Amino acid sequence: MDAVLALVNAATVLAQEAGGITGNLNVVGYGLAAIGPGIGVGIVAGNAVQAMARQPEVAGMLRVTMFLGIAFTEALALFGLLLFFIG
Amino acid sequence: MDPVILAVEECDFVNEPVCAPENVSELFVFETTLWNTPITRTIFLMGLAALIVVGVLYFAYRKPSLIRSKFQTAVDALTGFVRDEVAIGIIGPEGIKYFPYLLSIFMFILVGNLFEITPLINFPITGRMAIPAFLAVVTYVIFIIVGFAKNGFGYLGGIVWPKSVPWYMRWLVGLIELISYFFIRPFSLAVRLFANMVAGHVMLSILLVSGFVFLMNIPEIPVKGVTFGLLWFALGLAILVFELMVAVLQAYIFTLLSAVYIQSSVHPEH
Repeated sequence: MDAVLALVNAATVLAQEAGGITGNLNVVGYGLAAIGPGIGVGIVAGNAVQAMARQPEVAGMLRVTMFLGIAFTEALALFGLLLFFIG
Repeated sequence: MDPVILAVEECDFVNEPVCAPENVSELFVFETTLWNTPITRTIFLMGLAALIVVGVLYFAYRKPSLIRSKFQTAVDALTGFVRDEVAIGIIGPEGIKYFPYLLSIFMFILVGNLFEITPLINFPITGRMAIPAFLAVVTYVIFIIVGFAKNGFGYLGGIVWPKSVPWYMRWLVGLIELISYFFIRPFSLAVRLFANMVAGHVMLSILLVSGFVFLMNIPEIPVKGVTFGLLWFALGLAILVFELMVAVLQAYIFTLLSAVYIQSSVHPEH
């Protein structure tokens, strides 16, 4: 914990001496956009694994539905990536 | 001679490991034309992918017989998978009408995505927005026309005024469904494929090329050259294997979602 605080202190001091924090806001935007789909894909895949463990006979149908769910939620993260390149 | 190769040959890799040629815009002048249409690398590779798909299917089904040879068994596995899992599995028994279209886009996108990892052609043709956009537009046109052909104008009524929701929320759910069906679905279908392929291509280019540059300049920067060179190159190779999985998965997901959208037009009860 102390090491983390020391590192953050050092980073802010360096940034202030260099004249402020510069960089691209696109990167921050993409990083924020990737939080939601990350959690979402985890929820979809986790529930699919749990359902397959409860009833292994329908594992085939569950796998197809899992891919569908992952595709829908991951599309939002990819919109973020697209806007990173465009913005 | 290729302007890219000429421009790169002016670079002096010893003194400046990363160099950019002065006149970059000259690199975008295409000199190979066919009836005044420029032939670029993308167009050539697209034609090659189409040729490969047609060739594989032609040579597999030229002489159908009950005892299949090895190549025929392999292609059978692919077409049987698309027919049983995707066309008939998702759309139902009428899915066999849409099976040729689904098989075509599945194989074309699969070959196009696999071009990203083949050694001499490290470039996915689906990484140029025109190709996924056109395929998504074709799917869009198909599912709209099928919706209106099977259900008449009740198709639009069923979307904006869904009867399976309590009456006070029908306008809101109907609005959301309208925007989702007619605007978000084709757009997300195209962007999903495009962004996956572009992200993979950019990551592979940066990791492998920078690893190579570090490894090539080991005499000047011994410590950084060895550590970063090996690190980035190894990570690039790991991402190469991951991209194989992403390529096959994205082709399957595009086909699966096209089948799901067609199914929601053929059987619009939710």
